Amino acid sequence: MADATAHYPSPWRDAGLVTGSLIVISFFAIAILAHWISPHDPLEQDLISNLLPPFWVDQHDPAFLLGTDSLGRDLLSRVIHGARIALTVAVLAAGFAAVLGTVMGLIAGFYGGWIDSFISRLVDIWMSFPAVLLSIVLVAVLGTGLHSVVIAIGIIDWTRFCRVIRAETKVQREQDYVAAGRALGLTGPAIILKEILPNLLPVLMTLFCLEMGIAVVVEAILSFVGLSLSSDAPTWGGLIEEGRQYVHEAWWVMLIPMLCILTLVIALNACGEGIRRVYDPVMHK
Amino acid sequence: MSLKQFLQRLLLALPTLFGVSLVVFFLMRVVPGDPIAMMTPPGATEADVAQLRALYGLDKPIITQYVIWLGALFQGDLGTSISLRQDVFSLILERMPATLELAFLSTMIAIALCLILSLAGAYFRDRIIPRAVDAIASTAQAVPDFLWGLIFILLLGVAWPLFPISGRINPRLDHDLVSQFYLFESLIKLDFSLALELLRHLLLPAIALALPMTGIVTRLLKVSLEETWKQDYITMARARGFSRWYILRKEALRNALIPTVTLGGVQLTFLLGGTVLIEKLFSYPGIGNMAIGAVIQRDLPLIQGLILTFAVMFIVINLLIDLSYSWLNPRMRHG
Amino acid sequence: MNILNLISRSMGALLVLICISLPTQAADDDTLTIAYNVNLPSWDPTVGLSAVNPTIQSIYKSVFDQYIDQNPDLSFKPGLLTDWSWSDDKTSISMTLRENAFWHDGTPVTVEDVMWSLERAGNPDTGNPIQFIWGKVGEMTADGNTITAQMAGYDPSLFPWMAFLTGYILPKNYFEKVGAEGFEKAPMGSGPYMLDAFERDGFVRLKRFDQYWGDAPAFETVIFKFVTDASSRVAEIESGSSDITIEVPYEQFDRLAAVDGINGVSTPVSDIGMIFLNDIEVMEDANVRKAAAHAINKPVIVDRLLRGYGVPIDTLQAPEYMAYDDSIKVAYDPELASELLAKSGYSKDNPAKFKIQTTRGFKPKDYEMVQAIVGMWRKIGIEAEIEVYEIAKHYELRASDTLAPAAFYNWGNSIGDPSTSTGFAMFGPSPHSTWDTEDVDGMIGPLWGEADEAKRIDGYKKVDAYIAENAYVIPLLQYVQPILHREGISVTPHVANFVLPQLVTKQ
Repeated sequence: MADATAHYPSPWRDAGLVTGSLIVISFFAIAILAHWISPHDPLEQDLISNLLPPFWVDQHDPAFLLGTDSLGRDLLSRVIHGARIALTVAVLAAGFAAVLGTVMGLIAGFYGGWIDSFISRLVDIWMSFPAVLLSIVLVAVLGTGLHSVVIAIGIIDWTRFCRVIRAETKVQREQDYVAAGRALGLTGPAIILKEILPNLLPVLMTLFCLEMGIAVVVEAILSFVGLSLSSDAPTWGGLIEEGRQYVHEAWWVMLIPMLCILTLVIALNACGEGIRRVYDPVMHK
Repeated sequence: MSLKQFLQRLLLALPTLFGVSLVVFFLMRVVPGDPIAMMTPPGATEADVAQLRALYGLDKPIITQYVIWLGALFQGDLGTSISLRQDVFSLILERMPATLELAFLSTMIAIALCLILSLAGAYFRDRIIPRAVDAIASTAQAVPDFLWGLIFILLLGVAWPLFPISGRINPRLDHDLVSQFYLFESLIKLDFSLALELLRHLLLPAIALALPMTGIVTRLLKVSLEETWKQDYITMARARGFSRWYILRKEALRNALIPTVTLGGVQLTFLLGGTVLIEKLFSYPGIGNMAIGAVIQRDLPLIQGLILTFAVMFIVINLLIDLSYSWLNPRMRHG
Repeated sequence: MNILNLISRSMGALLVLICISLPTQAADDDTLTIAYNVNLPSWDPTVGLSAVNPTIQSIYKSVFDQYIDQNPDLSFKPGLLTDWSWSDDKTSISMTLRENAFWHDGTPVTVEDVMWSLERAGNPDTGNPIQFIWGKVGEMTADGNTITAQMAGYDPSLFPWMAFLTGYILPKNYFEKVGAEGFEKAPMGSGPYMLDAFERDGFVRLKRFDQYWGDAPAFETVIFKFVTDASSRVAEIESGSSDITIEVPYEQFDRLAAVDGINGVSTPVSDIGMIFLNDIEVMEDANVRKAAAHAINKPVIVDRLLRGYGVPIDTLQAPEYMAYDDSIKVAYDPELASELLAKSGYSKDNPAKFKIQTTRGFKPKDYEMVQAIVGMWRKIGIEAEIEVYEIAKHYELRASDTLAPAAFYNWGNSIGDPSTSTGFAMFGPSPHSTWDTEDVDGMIGPLWGEADEAKRIDGYKKVDAYIAENAYVIPLLQYVQPILHREGISVTPHVANFVLPQLVTKQ
């Protein structure tokens, strides 16, 4: 792998990738440091001082930069902690989908034969379901909560990984080094893990970034229909839904989380495509 | 594609369909909680519950239930909706045309927008227009359809109320349409004022649905057009003095179309799936709206029927995409 | 490529056309359009789930007649029955049918129809959810327009139920002719409006019925447009597409009521928000229950969260109900609450923990209220975890008595009788109760068949006082129904939470 990297152009020269990763990294930083940088506890309520305006309106309270929501909670702190939830869902759900999809894809692509047909058929079946409806049904069935959202997204979106990984594995399997590995007496799983998987990492990373973006949006959709995390967790989707009720008096309550989602999703897409541009040899022929 | 190939494709879809039915059925049966108990109104007695259970066949072993369900399915019997107390199959049949019309119009809008944007992006060589096209496409793709819907409702329904934002037809209108395909029927009957009225209701949800697909397909189409632009035979055509516009439309577009249709097919299924939220948002009486209601009411037979309906539509779309390859690529057709 | 060209061009032309043909909404003086918050799932008002859904009764009450009707202030008035009474020995009832009532096909409403409707409602096979009441009606005989029915036992709530859920009279001959399926397709009643067009999940259009026995309604045509999304309903009234809408967020109500051309009416309705407590886990500790009750600042919830649209209550009776007693109070007292918790060894560092279930978006601000309450509890040493469920799930859990230690719910009681509030909600053997202890059951039990009305009401007041003292349930507030309508019409609000087109007049 170390040798192979030398042939790739430097990732630092890809503007999209650099900007995208900087944005994503700063979101991660905000998420990790949420506890220290948010000015208030996102759950701390004060009904008496609810619906305070943000800093650009005259009668604002300097303690609440973006104002407060209907329960008197600090909006800025909720948006910051919302990043934490969005990224947790994104990483876990994309991770779950990636592990499930990659394992299935590797098995199908490497072994071929009946197991390949079986997995391919499974993918076909899965792709025949409307994703939004299925995720709504799944969360309705599993009950609300972080685990349900993660499971629902993973169970639905593993096919995205499986299809690509399967195709790539089929290509890799025919390469010389795999034959060499066989000649050296390596077993199937060993070849998959040691030889094939490392070569698929760029593709996997691309898919992972894109899937994180999808997970952020799906979480917002689920919150929007009232089926996401329970309790008073500050999710961006929940904030949008909440802000919708006050959109005429306090449009920023809806707009700020919407912009957060958009920025994060666009940045994740830019990362994914940047990785593809830099590491995918096909694009550079 | 020969008839034999076509039949092969058709046969391949059958096991998928079978698998879909299996998943739908068992997914609904492993739900924690008791679907019947959720359906029973306050005041129901134990006997009522048992009676309902027997009525929906829920008192039998699960495999038997599946066989019964599948057998009924083959006769077009999807059971009886618990919340609407009517035959699921006829309920879906009644509402499907509304969704099909919405999806159709939305697809047409997406195709039109894709063509305009990508051709403009590939035709102009200045720095502004191609970048603008990229920016528009990225935004259109990144914003999920339900957020587009919300934005439209706020902007064009409330702030500047140009369009009706709920329903399918003005309830004050009397009409004598016999089918549920209101738009198509009114067009065939040349009743343009009615068709326009229907279109005004359809436009916002259709565009909201079309935008994400437009974004993703435009980006691919533009890249493909630029790629083909560099191909040898295009260079030859240019050398022979054909105008840039002519070559783009007649040669490059045809070549770029095959990968676009592949992606478009997948996107089309997403578009159809998107009707679920969009119909809910615009109170549009299609099967998507019905599906959300069914989930909220835990109406198992209806949810099953609706998911199955969507799945069948998806499979049909994929089949059509397969078929369209041979139509788009003459070499495949002759070969 | 010609097809693609065609698509592009026709889409372009289409956009131009649509834009030219912009706003065509003509204000039609004789049509009333109501943007309604729920769909109408089914037309038979006596069977199935929708029959007990209070929200769609407005549509049913426009098309069908009840045995007995209610004034907007909940007092009873004649419906299809002009007279109704128990015999002196409380073993039979007598009912008199009005003479000038007609079905929508012009045939008269007869005693046959009434007896058939009652029999059908009492027959368990038809699936009437209130069969446990109707089943008590025994053999009926008719003499002219008066029906006498033998009763299985005295039940003071029988006549109130005739004005409540499933208390509708349907046409016997027509129903038998077309069957249940046919009735769904072409329902027929004797109410002020008859069905003109119905598009499932779209709208219902009704036409005035000229032979209606009561006052002729003001509008020739009424449209109930099903707009289930609250923001879309706001847009409906704001853009002028609808004349009336209901159940909009209170912020929007305040904003729009101040807009020129739109008026707002708000009235307290017979719907209360409450927290069911279950006799499990920490709730068996009286100190925890009482602390939970005293820690909730109901006035501030109503003021700040509901913007004043609500009436704090301390018993399950709203002020309009028969057994309301304003002397029963549960004060907001966080110090007392902390002390009570301390007695059982709980504090902020060692909080009492339990789960609270709630619906979300089923009622205005339901979820927000529970969040606010959990916030108030957190301050005194109660750590409650919120679980969101659908209303259908609530019914299931309540029927099997497996609700969490605390569960938020909205109890509707449009007949205002204590038996259908405290009675059903707190009596152990009732399928609707959550708190089941013998002390309360012993107090409520004798009241079910109490023939002396004054004694019965007084009995319930005593039960309510006892329940409040022991914090067996936490009543929160009475809801206020926000109605927005365009200028030029006037809407009479109904305490039972109905929006009846027959109560809308032109100005």
